[in-house]
Amino acid sequence: MSDNRDITPKDMNSPVEQLVELDPAGFIPLPPPYDKLELEPKIKKLTAEQSSKYECGLDGVSAVLLPKPKDENEKRQLVEKFLSGLAKLFSKENNWTFLQPLLLTVEYCARCQTCSQACPIFQQSGEVEIYRPTFRAQILRQLYKRYVKQGGRFLSRLSGDYIEASWEMIARLVELSYRCTLCRRCAQTCPIGADNGLVTHELRKIFSQEMGIAPKQVHELGTVQHLDKGSSTGMTPVAFRDNIEFMEDEIREKTGMDFKWPIDKEGAELLLIHNAGELLAWPENPEAFAIILEAAGISYTLSSDLLGYDGVNYGVWYDDVQFSRVAIKHAQVAKKLGVKKIVIGECGHSHKAMTVVADRVFAGDLNIPRESSLTLLRDIVLSGKLKLDPQRNADIHVTLHDPCNVVRLMGIVEPQREILRAICPNFKEMTPHGVYNYCCGGGSGFAIMPNSNFPDWRHSVAGRAKLKQVLDVFQDIIGPEHKKYVCAPCSNCKGQIRELFAAYGVFEKCNILYGGLVELIVNAMTDIKEPFLAWEWH
Amino acid sequence: MNWLQLVFYFAVGIMVVGCIIKAIRIAKMPLHVRWELYPIPHEKGKEHYGGSYFEEINWWTKPRQIALGSELAEMGREILAIQSLYRNNRKLWYFSFPFHFGLYLLTATIILLVVGAILQALGIEISGVSESLLGKLVYGLTILTGVAGWVLGAIGAFGLFLSRIFRKELRKFSVRADYFNLLLLLAVFVTGYFSWLVADSSLGHLRSFAGSLILLEAASPLPAITQVHLILVAVFFAYLPFTHMTHFIGKYFTYHNVRWEDQPNIKGSKIEAEVIKALGYKLTWAAPHIGQNKTWAEAASETGGPARKEDAK
Repeated sequence: MSDNRDITPKDMNSPVEQLVELDPAGFIPLPPPYDKLELEPKIKKLTAEQSSKYECGLDGVSAVLLPKPKDENEKRQLVEKFLSGLAKLFSKENNWTFLQPLLLTVEYCARCQTCSQACPIFQQSGEVEIYRPTFRAQILRQLYKRYVKQGGRFLSRLSGDYIEASWEMIARLVELSYRCTLCRRCAQTCPIGADNGLVTHELRKIFSQEMGIAPKQVHELGTVQHLDKGSSTGMTPVAFRDNIEFMEDEIREKTGMDFKWPIDKEGAELLLIHNAGELLAWPENPEAFAIILEAAGISYTLSSDLLGYDGVNYGVWYDDVQFSRVAIKHAQVAKKLGVKKIVIGECGHSHKAMTVVADRVFAGDLNIPRESSLTLLRDIVLSGKLKLDPQRNADIHVTLHDPCNVVRLMGIVEPQREILRAICPNFKEMTPHGVYNYCCGGGSGFAIMPNSNFPDWRHSVAGRAKLKQVLDVFQDIIGPEHKKYVCAPCSNCKGQIRELFAAYGVFEKCNILYGGLVELIVNAMTDIKEPFLAWEWH
Repeated sequence: MNWLQLVFYFAVGIMVVGCIIKAIRIAKMPLHVRWELYPIPHEKGKEHYGGSYFEEINWWTKPRQIALGSELAEMGREILAIQSLYRNNRKLWYFSFPFHFGLYLLTATIILLVVGAILQALGIEISGVSESLLGKLVYGLTILTGVAGWVLGAIGAFGLFLSRIFRKELRKFSVRADYFNLLLLLAVFVTGYFSWLVADSSLGHLRSFAGSLILLEAASPLPAITQVHLILVAVFFAYLPFTHMTHFIGKYFTYHNVRWEDQPNIKGSKIEAEVIKALGYKLTWAAPHIGQNKTWAEAASETGGPARKEDAK
């Protein structure tokens, strides 16, 4: 094992059992009350059984649970498969979706390392070399030059810009492609406009689209289950209706309203699609949406059709074909209902997937306009249609987490802030925020990947920058006597923050709760007698 | 016509054709999915905080507001001052800025040499004592941009070379070609400077050589150091299209075709036509869930797994 800071891309071919040993003492320190190393949650060692079964030669963490090949022959075949996928990645027919941005990155990155300063994972880990954004990019570039580019075999040797592909390298690369949250903060700082975050995305595509390798929760239980049962949670249309009935009861109970959800209402103005995870983990969020839209008199419907009630699209993280399949199904649901537009609930990647990326998958009558619920909510709150009293939120100190997909990657920055300024007297921004925010650490599928010791890594490394920001913004009122709330209008971010906070005991020690935006709006509605926001951990 | 002129025609030819081919190749790549990154400077009224038209309700019904001025200003700051490096990697900017600015000044010098040569052919004297104000101006500016360009370029190239050697994070990711490129340019800058210093203080030799190239005339004899400089310049020109130093071409596309490219797909638009064309490409990805022998449109309209119709309703 070498020093974590001295490793070079060529070391990925090394036969050593494990390339990097993570040491929490090297991580960037957290502010009080987590300023002592003994308060740092441990990254568990893999069990002997796990290590013997799965590839974990990168950093001793296994996110993908990639089975070890049986023999040298299988290893050779897997390397060949990878190289065949690599060639397809650079072909127009197989990768029209990203060929231009990918080639520009591969050809023009000047390796100036400017992006390294922007990467929260690299920085917070104490600059563990393998997490450097250019590390993966250098490997992909040198493999491309060595194995794919015309004349590259000779020219890459002449220029020294090449790397050999062994199974050790490929197996480590599989794991390494799940050590970046695709937040694309690196790309924002690049003087040339290269995008090393995209490199992660493209590597994952080789593994999934060519080799059938992807984390189970993302693929098998993710997009495959989504397309099959209707939701990546496994919720079928029948189960969806059951959930809805239960939540309708809750709404009636909480508000005294005689409430019935509009489901499959043809001709409604808009189709609202939530992340189905909300229905299971945070039902108060879709309930709050329902209360607001009802009070504002918005003509909308939910869908109980396959995929119509789950707006997630895990394909956006790892597989363009699965991505297109899910996106098209969403559009078909909206088309069938005859709505004028699709409005996306508080789910970040669903925002970007449906609105931005899928914009060039839809054609003809499937190209139904899509928009964020944040803009609709902003217009409702500022229109005066709701009776709101900000004082009802006055005892809560609120900060806003910017989901990367909504903000940096879509430019929706102000609507959520306009709402918070209107309804939360004690709203304070984190540093940095807006388009320069830090990822929650759960992006690109991380929040739903519970394998082996990966969650430990996610909490200690990937989520560290966010935890530090949250603690910093509330530092003068960090004690449990003050109620504090991280408003995260994104299911995935909430999932990560929930587990991040639980790992460090943030609610118990600091009384910091997390939740969505609509809950705060309903909490400020004077028509609702009891406080909507239940101040309890879940 | 002497051998050096021939070498120059050849080198400039390779550079121009090579760069054009590179630009065309990038431009002709298929439409990609949207992958923009905010802030985008042309988002009128929202550019200062990174907002987009997605912040407007029913955005597709409203006319798009493009702030061309902001975009051009951002481009100016990025091209001339390398703003992103200044903000995010100051240590490197101290060398990268003079290096690139030196190159801009030398590009201006080449233009001024050509202009000077044409004026001379038209009978206008290019010198510090010329009767023509234009002649004096071109003379002075050529020397100013040339000398400043060589000096700044040399400082920058040398600094970048040392940075790549002594800064571990740069060294680890540098390959032979990176060092060679910097040394080649350093040699160009240093020989240019010394040619001026010891043999060509008025830059008359360079001007006459530029004139001989554009007017297809025989070149006058040149001092040895000037010849060495010109050979190195020719080598650089011919080598440029084959290196990542053509990132001045790439950068146009990374910004305008990716980072700032937020053109929505409107029904009946050119984008939609390109989407339809791309969906017709045949994919050959081998994982079982993709399916064989399908176009993108066919693959995307399947579920890639067993259908469970009993759950559908």
